[in-house]
Amino acid sequence: MSVGIPAAAASRGVPAIGSSLRRARPVALPIATAAATLLLWQFTAVRLQISAVILPAPVEIAHELWRALPVLISQAGPTALDTLLAFAVAAILGVGLAVIITYSPLLRDTLYPNLVFFQLVPKVALAPLFVIWLGFGSTSRVAFAAFISFFPVVIAAAVGFAGTDPAALQLCRSLTASEWRCFMLVRFPFALPAIFSGFKVAMTMAVVGVIIGEFISSQAGLGHYILNAGSRLNTADVFAALGVLCALGVGLYGAVALAELCIRRVYGRH
Amino acid sequence: MISVGTPLPAPRDSSMSIAKVRPCLEASGVRKVYGAGTAAAVEAVSTVSFTVPHGQFVAILGPSGCGKSTLLMMVGGLETVSSGSIIVNGEAMTGPRTSIGIMFQDPTLLPWKSALDNVLFPVRVLKRSMDDYRQTAYGLLQQVGLDGFEHKRPHELSGGMRQRVAICRTLVYDPEVLLMDEPFSALDAISRDEMNELLLDLWQQFTKTALFVTHSIREAVLLADRVLVMTKRPATIVEDLAIPFARPRSIALGENRKFNEICRHLRERIEAGHDRPQALRRGTAIRRREPAT
Repeated sequence: MSVGIPAAAASRGVPAIGSSLRRARPVALPIATAAATLLLWQFTAVRLQISAVILPAPVEIAHELWRALPVLISQAGPTALDTLLAFAVAAILGVGLAVIITYSPLLRDTLYPNLVFFQLVPKVALAPLFVIWLGFGSTSRVAFAAFISFFPVVIAAAVGFAGTDPAALQLCRSLTASEWRCFMLVRFPFALPAIFSGFKVAMTMAVVGVIIGEFISSQAGLGHYILNAGSRLNTADVFAALGVLCALGVGLYGAVALAELCIRRVYGRH
Repeated sequence: MISVGTPLPAPRDSSMSIAKVRPCLEASGVRKVYGAGTAAAVEAVSTVSFTVPHGQFVAILGPSGCGKSTLLMMVGGLETVSSGSIIVNGEAMTGPRTSIGIMFQDPTLLPWKSALDNVLFPVRVLKRSMDDYRQTAYGLLQQVGLDGFEHKRPHELSGGMRQRVAICRTLVYDPEVLLMDEPFSALDAISRDEMNELLLDLWQQFTKTALFVTHSIREAVLLADRVLVMTKRPATIVEDLAIPFARPRSIALGENRKFNEICRHLRERIEAGHDRPQALRRGTAIRRREPAT
């Protein structure tokens, strides 16, 4: 027994270090991996004397990024604007259609299988059609980006609305509430987590849509910049633009996540 | 104008005097068939008739699947009646009413609202002033022993606590008639006893007309002034028994000899109306046999 006590005391000390390590792990591990990859990249590019056209070293890219940053930021403006517009259109139309599907069995039976089918079509291939229909302006890019980000919102919101606790809806009806009031007080808040998971997918899809649109038809924006830098074989510039694009994507996604956090706080759900 | 105005008071008076004599709830020849006209038509309730005077606590007792919940939902206006009629306070039921409060089998609390806000949910739905009811809601929560838990969310409460919040939610807007659909069946035996005791206490204070659906014989006898026994095939009422015990009652009533006699009688009535084979009813055979068709 006398041996057991110090052993227990010692083992109590070890988990304290172990547990703080374990807590830091989800943050530290991915950062360390990214840093190691960059280091390996830098080392390989320099050591093997890889041509800067094929693979510029990270330090070189950082230099290029610093030099081109004002231009890149000005180019990120139209891309961000188009993405936000497309997302807004997709979010409003998507949730709206999900409401219609939820309340009209006829329309649900008519539309839902087609919506699911459309999920499977590689919609990116339809981008040139949008240019034909809507011209080379920002309208065609916004429309295309909204088109591809609309489906995840409809599906997620429809699933969320359908998954509402039926007893809670019945409670609401037993209190003589109108269908609309039941929707606002019960169905919509119940579906919020599902709707936001749809929104998150939609935001990433909207960025993809706008960039593809810019590849095809634009005179401005990050997509156009990347294509332009690529055609000049300025690979470091391509990577610099990609870096800004990544930051933009993360920022937009973060905005959705933040909005979710705020709305869920209003509804008091963690 | 005057000739139209003057005759009005007379019928209004007479209708009021009728309302006084008239029972609170009248169900006559109520029948519910699901999928009527199809090959898969199921008769959930067949010709049920009963009346409930104002202020009476009636338990509807029966095995699961005998249609007692369907009957309750029809009384609450949440299900339509296939034939027959249900009249509450002199008016035929055509849909839900604010004078009728329903308590469901599950507490069905909104997970994003605190206990207090869940209690106030009917007030919100009915678009009444929250400020007028906040004090009532606090009072009710205190009465069911949930003071200090007003701002907890449902996931922080135990099953019994959640059902207590649901009771407060049903009482907060003061409906005249309470319909309770096996409200304690999801609780463990100890919580269930607590809830029965609580309901007896609350009943002393709020004398409302109540229909309480349950499959527990003891719960029905303990709580109710009158027990209606419902059976399957046909899904109808086979017994209408007055429970003679005076109020206030307590859970200790369960040790009373008369109490147990009544329970035994009711059990026999349920079993007589049940479609189980004789051997199984005596508890001698374990193997389940399908009833002959």
